[in-house]
Amino acid sequence: MNGHDTNTITPDTSLNPPEKNSYRYLFRRFTLLTVVCSIVPLLLVGWGLNIHYTYFAQTRIVRTFEEQVANHGRFIEQFLKEQSTKLRLVADTHSKKDLQKPGSLMTIFENMNREQPYIMDLGVIDQRGNHLAYIGPYDLLDKVYFHEDWFKQVMQKGLYISDMFMGFRQEPHFIIAVLRREEEDQWILRATINTRVFRTLVENMRVGETGEVYLVNTRGVYQTTPRFGGSIMDQADVAVDPFKDPVSVDVFKKNRSSRFSGQVVGRFWLTHPEWMLVVKQARSETFEEMDRARFVNLIFLHLSALSILVAAIFITRYMVGIIRKRDDHAARLNNQLMQASKLASIGELSAGVAHEINNPVAIIMTERQLLLDQFQQTMMEDQAFKNQFLSSMDQIALQSQRCKRITHNLLRFSRRTRSMIESVDLNRFVAEVVDLMERETKTSGIRLLTDLDPDLPAIQSDSSQLQQVFLNLITNAVDAHEGKPYGSIRISTRYDADAGGIFLSIADTGNGIDPKHMDRIFDPFFTTKPVGKGTGLGLSICYSIIRQLKGNITVKSEPGEGTEFIIFLPLTLSEKETRESGPSGPDKTSDPSI
Amino acid sequence: MKGSKILLVDDEIVFTTNMSRLLVNRGYQVTAVNSGDAAVQELEKDDFDVVVLDLKMPGMDGIATLKEIKKLDLFTQTLILTGHGSIDTALEAVRLGAYDYLTKPCEIDDLVSKIECAWQKKDEHVKEEMQENVQKIIESPHSVFDLYPSKDKKK
Repeated sequence: MNGHDTNTITPDTSLNPPEKNSYRYLFRRFTLLTVVCSIVPLLLVGWGLNIHYTYFAQTRIVRTFEEQVANHGRFIEQFLKEQSTKLRLVADTHSKKDLQKPGSLMTIFENMNREQPYIMDLGVIDQRGNHLAYIGPYDLLDKVYFHEDWFKQVMQKGLYISDMFMGFRQEPHFIIAVLRREEEDQWILRATINTRVFRTLVENMRVGETGEVYLVNTRGVYQTTPRFGGSIMDQADVAVDPFKDPVSVDVFKKNRSSRFSGQVVGRFWLTHPEWMLVVKQARSETFEEMDRARFVNLIFLHLSALSILVAAIFITRYMVGIIRKRDDHAARLNNQLMQASKLASIGELSAGVAHEINNPVAIIMTERQLLLDQFQQTMMEDQAFKNQFLSSMDQIALQSQRCKRITHNLLRFSRRTRSMIESVDLNRFVAEVVDLMERETKTSGIRLLTDLDPDLPAIQSDSSQLQQVFLNLITNAVDAHEGKPYGSIRISTRYDADAGGIFLSIADTGNGIDPKHMDRIFDPFFTTKPVGKGTGLGLSICYSIIRQLKGNITVKSEPGEGTEFIIFLPLTLSEKETRESGPSGPDKTSDPSI
Repeated sequence: MKGSKILLVDDEIVFTTNMSRLLVNRGYQVTAVNSGDAAVQELEKDDFDVVVLDLKMPGMDGIATLKEIKKLDLFTQTLILTGHGSIDTALEAVRLGAYDYLTKPCEIDDLVSKIECAWQKKDEHVKEEMQENVQKIIESPHSVFDLYPSKDKKK
């Protein structure tokens, strides 16, 4: 873009944007803050919810487990009670004689086993312990039970359910026996529960892959064979201390020294007989669904945290990028301001130097004039000396004028000279500027073309300021051809009587202006040139000068095709405007150097 | 006009000396002083047609001197002769009532030309004043004593 300025800016390194390290530090700080402010609360809430959910779910699962254990225990109790009731019913509804009749006991046996083969054998025993009748797979008719413990118990209690014992058949089994008193006589109806069927019934509870269900008696002896390790009638490793509640569930954490490491153990006391139902399951299996839910929750929680972290990094990087761009921009502005300030200082210095030089030169001029006055009054015969004297005087005048021009230029540079409103022939003016610039443009392969209106009237304006405007615009137009081997700059003038002024156009065939920059090209310090190449003041100065001269400047540009600046200048300025921008009257400009 | 009385005010002694001689050579009566105070004192003592005044001087500078001269209410015209650096101040002086300005270094002929213009300006003012005074005397003869005090002053 055309942010031309004839002065070259050297970036001031002390005002460069902060080092890369400080941006990395900023990035780390921002990221840390964002993470602390967003991820930490998320994790706290997530973990809190997770702990709460775990407690809640675990309580529910344990309670359900407890209910299952209790239900199953009651089911076993119910089964034993049912078998006892059946026996009681048979004993009460039959006499000893009835049961001793051939086939009678068999009929009862078959009726009792109609649904399931719950009973292995059935026998009628008199009060001396002798078998009166027997139905079963063993040959037990000659066995006498008078001294057996269960016999004593049943004679004493009337109903007795035994623990597992070997007995005469030398196989683990337990019996249910009822006592019937018939007038003076007493007899016992005894049934042996089918151990295999009973075990199936006890284990008829869903305990998964790792679970087991078994019964132990008050001495801790297995009443059924456990699924893992141990067998019926072995000593179990479970504690059989009577507990306060009929049912309890304990969750054991993993601990090598514990017998139930990592297991959930449910216990239920049967009232009759005093057996304990033990239901064990691996903790991981009991809480499998809860653990899975927790795992999924934690996965989502950490994924959320991760996504926040990633977002925080991206957003922070983006923000730091913006800050960095702003810093660069600010540093560039600072550099340009510094440069502008330097130029202003140089301008002040120039004005002072010019003044100090003008005084001695003025004295030299008066000395010369005195010599000339004296010379004219003196008769001099030496013609060669006279010639040399006059030549030297002319040279002194010439060099003094040269000094005056130098100081004039210094002051012009310092911009302290007020604009001088005078009659300007724009066509002649353009020709002079073209002549001045032609050498520079030729070396860039660019032709300067003119299309001047021959009937152009003279305008009242400031030629020195107009010169600066044209030089800026033409230099910009030359720069706009960067990357193009050749091109042209056409300067045209046109008088518009209706508008009351002159239109001057400077059109180039350069690279054009990016549309997004069009709104800002007249802004001070706006430039698309690299740092140090342009100050971005050129067009801004052009704009302010043209506005000061009551004209107008517009721009048209086609990217890749070229740019055209059109300047309108009024024919005359009002008296007030003239006073504001120049001396108080036309007769005040008699000094040709001004 | 030849014989006009010029007051040259500049802190550069060599300059005032040289310029005095040049102007004397051209028929002017020149008094040179090197400070604003001295210039005001000279103007209080004597009448001058044109004052050539430098702007940048130690002590009372050109602008302050000009203001003092204006207070004296004279017909005398003031020409500013300044180094190029103080051109803005020269313009300010013109606004304050100086007749014109010139920048150093300048040709003697340019200065003479400006002095002549200034003298003419003063002459016009004096003539206008006299015509007005004559008219007033015709209208009211007793006013003659009010109109012509001892010193040649503007009304």
